[in-house]
Amino acid sequence: MTSETPVDPAALREEVKSKYREVATNPHGKFHFHTGRRLAQRLEYDTSVVDAMPDSAVESFAGVANPFSLRPLERGERVVDAGSGAGFDCFIAAHQVGPDGRVVGIDMLADMLARSRAAAGQMGLGNVEFREGLIEDMPVEDGWADVVMSNGVINLCADKRRAFQEIWRVLRPGGWLQFADIANGKPVPESALRNIDLWTA
Amino acid sequence: MLQEIGFAEIRIGKPFDTFGEAGGEKKARQFEVFGYPFLARKAG
Repeated sequence: MTSETPVDPAALREEVKSKYREVATNPHGKFHFHTGRRLAQRLEYDTSVVDAMPDSAVESFAGVANPFSLRPLERGERVVDAGSGAGFDCFIAAHQVGPDGRVVGIDMLADMLARSRAAAGQMGLGNVEFREGLIEDMPVEDGWADVVMSNGVINLCADKRRAFQEIWRVLRPGGWLQFADIANGKPVPESALRNIDLWTA
Repeated sequence: MLQEIGFAEIRIGKPFDTFGEAGGEKKARQFEVFGYPFLARKAG
């Protein structure tokens, strides 16, 4: 642990896995955050696109804001979603970049990867793939991506600098980082920052 | 941190009331937690 990593990264990762495995396998369970279509509406996603998706592509969505709101993707772009969860943002991205674009979702949870691959197959998306990996060590070659996006993931990384440095590596020069995350207006006590149970509470 | 790593053209969008009416609303209100979109560019 350091001043920039107030909790043990490996321990936090296991806590996050436990929480989001539950979201993957029981998306209608009781969580401290919204999920699914209700959340997508709250975060002002394009309802015409979301409504056309099957429940399997939407119900485990657990983002925190809308990473497309400041910059819609362009046709043909190559996109990496760092921490793709059940794939919802990848499916929005696939719609925006079109058949000449590529979307690669990276996630560390087998349950989420299984959900996202099944939903992509159900929708017949040929421009999306999902790979197992960590945001701090993504299975993507240097400079491949026009865009790296992420939604509600970086706040769950103990070592945020390392996560951003890895995003920098996979982006091409001139490429865009567009992510959504939470931020607090009032300071969180140091004791709470060091309490790993509160990171996903 | 983004600037230190080399990102430029950094923008922050409007806040979303991510936890409103959810189980985590009380804690979110306590620390004024909202969701935000961020945009930044890797210098070319």
